[in-house]
Amino acid sequence: MKLAKKDLNKALEILSAGAIVFAPTFEMIEDKSEGGQTMAEKKFMPYKEGMFIALDGPNTVKPPKDILFPNVEKMYRYKTGVNAEIQEIIPEDTKKILFGIRPCDMRSIDSMDKVFLTKEYVDSYYAKRRENVVTVAFGCTEPERTCFCDSMGIDPNNAPSADVMMNVAKGSNGDAFILEAYTDKGKELLEQIKSLDGGAGEAQRDTKCQLQINKDPELDKKLAGMFEHPIWDKITKGCIGCGTCTFVCPTCYCFDIDNENYGAEGCKYRCWDSCMFSDYTRMAGGANPRPTKKERLRNRYMHKLSYFNERYGETLCVGCGRCVANCPSHLDISEFIEKATAADPNAETYTDAPGKEA
Amino acid sequence: MAGLTEAQVQDRIREEAKKALATGEVSAVVGWTSTRFEDKTKPYFAETEAECDLLVWNKYCINGTGKFALDDRYPEKKIAIIARGCDSRALNRMLRDKQLKRENLYIIGVVCDGKENAVCEGCQHKNPLTYDVLIGEPVEEQIDADRFKEIEAFEKLSPDERYEYWAKQYDKCIHCYACRNACPACNCVECYADQYRTGWQGKAADREQNQVYGLTRAYHVGDRCIECGECERVCPMNLPIMRQTKKMLKDINDLFGDYECGLPDDAMPILGSYKLEDPDEFM
Ligand code: SF4
Ligand code: SF4
Ligand code: SF4
Ligand code: SF4
Ligand code: SF4
Repeated sequence: MKLAKKDLNKALEILSAGAIVFAPTFEMIEDKSEGGQTMAEKKFMPYKEGMFIALDGPNTVKPPKDILFPNVEKMYRYKTGVNAEIQEIIPEDTKKILFGIRPCDMRSIDSMDKVFLTKEYVDSYYAKRRENVVTVAFGCTEPERTCFCDSMGIDPNNAPSADVMMNVAKGSNGDAFILEAYTDKGKELLEQIKSLDGGAGEAQRDTKCQLQINKDPELDKKLAGMFEHPIWDKITKGCIGCGTCTFVCPTCYCFDIDNENYGAEGCKYRCWDSCMFSDYTRMAGGANPRPTKKERLRNRYMHKLSYFNERYGETLCVGCGRCVANCPSHLDISEFIEKATAADPNAETYTDAPGKEA
Repeated sequence: MAGLTEAQVQDRIREEAKKALATGEVSAVVGWTSTRFEDKTKPYFAETEAECDLLVWNKYCINGTGKFALDDRYPEKKIAIIARGCDSRALNRMLRDKQLKRENLYIIGVVCDGKENAVCEGCQHKNPLTYDVLIGEPVEEQIDADRFKEIEAFEKLSPDERYEYWAKQYDKCIHCYACRNACPACNCVECYADQYRTGWQGKAADREQNQVYGLTRAYHVGDRCIECGECERVCPMNLPIMRQTKKMLKDINDLFGDYECGLPDDAMPILGSYKLEDPDEFM
């Protein structure tokens, strides 16, 4: 179907009647002090009447993964002592529509589905949220300079696993969109807004990433043999070991489990964890098999580019570029991919200034 | 700037870096190198003579270099740090806090020309304060009369308005600890937030735990903050966290007189020491 841009809010209005619609927008935080500024962050927020939908432009800093895998998930409440009891907390049965997510982020959901729903274990919290979500993906029009998804085998114009795919209509100059249902859930969704259908049209699908990187198609296998390679010492030195890259990454799915106690009552929750933190692998006695940032960053890159391939047959880096854009130390996984592609896997030394060494 | 052009300073940095490595006493020289983006550089450890030629100096050299000296607390060799004014203050901070030994450092001071970084506008120390060798001619320092202007404006808001503002800010926080890890005053061997199961600080990025972390961090570094702005620069969610340490510094200035951290003759951190004549009207 064809949807005019001016009808976008109407469409979301209609869809909001039966679901919470999450769409990219700008959250404003007003600073009331003298000369203060209004800060605007692009993020996915529940649709409210009249909300500005920021479909194009840069992607959100935080990926939409927390709609399926919240930063903090309360799992059960308990009481201790003579009245001891346990009460499970099950995510509410709310229908949600993820509107305007990018192909890289849609692909990241495919990876999370594999982690949380396959290999003989179904994560009930994730499963509950996932079955209630309908996805409407939007083909990118203005990739950022840090986007390299097409080098990772993802098409920025198309998200095959989305329920509905939405693109700018050819020749419309961004004033109309073409929506196509890929699944039954998607057909149902389009059915609800068919009163806004402006007829047929063709989708514009000619976007290319700005950042094209040179990646060995078999890099996962090459890296598997490079665990002890000297490259790790060199490329990890500038890292400050924060959790930024993993928390802004749409495919990082690690969590920690902790409790919150109030006297004799409490609650068990899980929350995002990061393999870049020192306590991620710390054991009860204090020993740590990943004692420095070298081992930690190696784990992240390896998981993204090799370990996940081994277990699930696909790369865990979707090339969204969020970690590249947000790393405080300006480390760049795409640069690492190129360096690893060029590296001699059997080298005994590694330098950034090759050919000049004595 | 200071008699030398940007390119000349860069040459001098590379020259001094090579000299330092040639002594055999230095394991690496920490400075900046280029990235694939023209307007970004990244911290870099030059470990060979050829790698010294990858060190750059331009207006995008914004990352603090000082904190990297803490990566190895028991080094076999010295570490050389290319230090702008703020980096030298960062090193003084860690020296004062007894986290580093001066004999393990080789400091290549560089007179700074101000970087593409918000905090540089108010910088009062472009000349490195502590160094073994200095590149560039010292410049006249600007005294920033508006050092606490933003705080004064913010203080005028009602407590409710301030709470609402910070609550919204901390709802954005993703609890990544970048602000801590970048901060030269956050130099504890083990951060309280990393201690196993304190029972009151976990990793959950919810309003409670984010705010507890924010407050605790501000109190832990407030009387030792060198005003380098790294915490605010690195925050991926753009929280204006320097406002908290600046507020602490402003109150300290109001109560105890002129106070600035990271100077070579730094006194004990004000909240970590006690003098009989300290103001005590709140007691
Ligand atoms: S790679 Fe960058 S974002 Fe990730 S932990 Fe290191 S410094 Fe932080
Ligand atoms: S590793 Fe970086 S570029 Fe790859 S998916 Fe994660 S955030 Fe995006
Ligand atoms: S990169 Fe690290 S935090 Fe992310 S999923 Fe892999 S192990 Fe977990
Ligand atoms: S804070 Fe001062 S010394 Fe540091 S980079 Fe900015 S202008 Fe240079
Ligand atoms: S850097 Fe920002 S988002 Fe990260 S923990 Fe600090 S305040 Fe929170």
